Amino acid sequence: MNTSASPELAMTGISKTFPGVVALDQAHLSARAGEATAVMGANGAGKSTLMNVLGGVTRPDAGSIELCGTRIDIASPRDAASHGIAFVHQELTMLPTLSVAENIFIDDFPSKGGLIDRAAIHARCQIILDRLGCTISPDRIVGELSTGDRQMIEIARAMRREPRVIIFDEPTSSLTQPEKRRLFAVIESLKRDGAIILYITHFLDEIFEICERVSVMRGGRTVGGGSIETFKPVDIVRLMLGEVDVGTRLKAPLDERQKTVLEVRGLARGTALQDINFDLYVGEVVGLWGLLGAGRTELARALVGLDPIDHGTIRWHDGTALRPISPHALHKLTGFVTEDRRGEGLLLPLSVNDNLALPSLKRFLNPWGLLNRKPQAALADTMIDRLGIKVSSREQSAGTLSGGNQQKVVLGRWLATEPRLFILDEPTRGLDVSAKTEILKLTAELARSGATVLLISSEIDELMRICDRYLVMVRGAITAELPGSASHAELMDALSAPVASHMTQRARA
Amino acid sequence: MNETTNKTALISRGGGLIDLATRFGFPIVLVLMFVALSSSTNSFFTLDNQMSMLHAMAPIVIIASGMALVVMSGKLDISVGSIAFLSVALGSLLIKQAGWHPVAAYTVTLLIGAVLGAVNGFIVVVLKVNPLITTLGTMIAFRGVALQVTNANVIVLPDEVRKFGNLTFGPVFADVLIAALVLVAVHVLHERTSYGRQITAIGNGETIAARIGLPVGRLVFTNFVLCGVLAAFGGIFAAAQVGSVTTFLGQGLEFTAVAVVVVGGISLFGGQGRILGGVALGALTFEMIRNGLNHLGANPYSYKLFGGVVIFIAMYADALKARSRKSPGGG
Repeated sequence: MNTSASPELAMTGISKTFPGVVALDQAHLSARAGEATAVMGANGAGKSTLMNVLGGVTRPDAGSIELCGTRIDIASPRDAASHGIAFVHQELTMLPTLSVAENIFIDDFPSKGGLIDRAAIHARCQIILDRLGCTISPDRIVGELSTGDRQMIEIARAMRREPRVIIFDEPTSSLTQPEKRRLFAVIESLKRDGAIILYITHFLDEIFEICERVSVMRGGRTVGGGSIETFKPVDIVRLMLGEVDVGTRLKAPLDERQKTVLEVRGLARGTALQDINFDLYVGEVVGLWGLLGAGRTELARALVGLDPIDHGTIRWHDGTALRPISPHALHKLTGFVTEDRRGEGLLLPLSVNDNLALPSLKRFLNPWGLLNRKPQAALADTMIDRLGIKVSSREQSAGTLSGGNQQKVVLGRWLATEPRLFILDEPTRGLDVSAKTEILKLTAELARSGATVLLISSEIDELMRICDRYLVMVRGAITAELPGSASHAELMDALSAPVASHMTQRARA
Repeated sequence: MNETTNKTALISRGGGLIDLATRFGFPIVLVLMFVALSSSTNSFFTLDNQMSMLHAMAPIVIIASGMALVVMSGKLDISVGSIAFLSVALGSLLIKQAGWHPVAAYTVTLLIGAVLGAVNGFIVVVLKVNPLITTLGTMIAFRGVALQVTNANVIVLPDEVRKFGNLTFGPVFADVLIAALVLVAVHVLHERTSYGRQITAIGNGETIAARIGLPVGRLVFTNFVLCGVLAAFGGIFAAAQVGSVTTFLGQGLEFTAVAVVVVGGISLFGGQGRILGGVALGALTFEMIRNGLNHLGANPYSYKLFGGVVIFIAMYADALKARSRKSPGGG
């Protein structure tokens, strides 16, 4: 094997601009044969775009790619494949109604006299599956297989052309523990065969287990990297998130706890959520802090019944006492706002007026069951005024509003029903700076008026401007609770602490 | 908690029954229907009647074979009836007015079918218009053109073509043999060739197929062309059987073809089903209902009601199957 200092894969000066967004800015990446290189970065750091460039999915505006000393041009996924670059996508590209063998050979069937040579694909498929230590029959229909098995078939497809470079894009996000161990064994054997492995994940512990090198991206640039031995988990988290200007707080942290509004005990769902316990108190903003994939959104969805739960109890203070409540019942009492404004039911063609009134229509019915327009309009005007929604009139259609104003309409709709609990999941994603601040101000105001807010955000500066308390999530569990006065460094350390302790435990064992 | 687990258990038990019913339900119903019709009428279970049933099925089997390919890729082509009319009308005019030999003229018919299919393919693939809307438009437009070129007159076909339309080898009609050949060929194309597997892949998910690197546009386009050729081919036999090209040629055929495909267990969601058994079974179902009601002396219009009910049941079964496919693990 080539042990010289020069890397077998070198991407340099890669830039890519999408309309309005600089996705990559002079990013670079180098990787060596027989090694796994972790590509790390927070959401939107550009790692997916960089991998898409290598995989031929995205064409860069500038930059060069060298593979084994030769400069190559990659214009399409087919080009990438012909250069021996294989991409194992995070979203599996399996075809459920076809067999395992057909799935592997779908884009390049060996044929005899115009017909597919079934014996040949069966035999070749069996060889690849054996190499992966996979006991699935090539004739099985993929739709009957588990997610982990489908992932193996995805890898098998990538292996068909004897690739030199294999990109794994968050391969473990939906795998069970044994499936993950099997995947790691496969990656180890690929490394022994001299492949260049690029490994994208949000899970810090994994990269220390199977990667030799790491490359960290932030804001479209490569901000650091090297041999993994020279890094501690906390270094990587710091590189990923960067130093941020926190700015002034919008709301001083609460000193005292008031009444409990919501009590969650032993909540669990599969591998996504493990034994979640926490309380929420009246009038506070609680930041759910964690990296992408830590299970924050999953927790929010489980609380309001959008995902089923396996175990656990939720109790809700109904004014007199804490009583058990089902997630579906909680959903009706909660203002649930996510980054997906359309998915959460903003009806774009309808007017702001109609959108705001939608959940409270019953209040406006006259004795004949017809809508009373005047109080509805009054409500809309109040909300537009209170939230500072920029509209030409209340009859303007929601689809013509900016993202920030759309998000305000979603918030306003919930405000009209006067919920005592808000769950906000990345409410500011995709908004510009001033819109973000306005949404945060509104959030602070909600808490001041007595509502409780559970706020999910990937941007630490946002959380630090408003939270009274933090719940730290790592890998589907709440690992720590920090006060609102926690410093930037403390929040960073909290993310890597479980990984670091896990590593020392393993080192001792 | 307990309540939900009970519910899911119920659903999965129901799913098992539904699974059984969808897998073997139609063959069973078909056999029962056959036995019932045979025992309640004297004229149904005769060699002559059985053969004429197959004879009547032949054109629709050919057209539905092409439709099955399109449905397999998750698309729809409801212009097949109009393609049949326009292409056969033009071919027949070549015989009647230009004095062409029928073989040459109907070869041109097939080419016209290919061109009309290509028009559909172009609109769907290049202009990216929804296939249902596309072929709804071309269904109306092609029929309009055909009515214009024929002046809405009946074209009476020459004797040699009429004879061929009802030609028999022993008890078997020639077009039955040809339809069977076409059906088997399309079946092999679907199951044993790269093309067939790749259009099934598109039916599984167009974006997935594109990400894998399949030439989705080219495959879908070719599929519409093939469907057009088979529509024209089926149309030739439909016209030859009655000995003339009437303005009704192919009318409603598109919906019969879709119904045949769906009843045969080929999912409208794409990617699912087998062509040989599916099309044969589906076509037989409709023909048996039509023919059987005839022999029972039922009102001829009752066929539409029965056909409608059968289509509804088949669609419902398809939707149930799709639901049970999606539920486990969200896969």
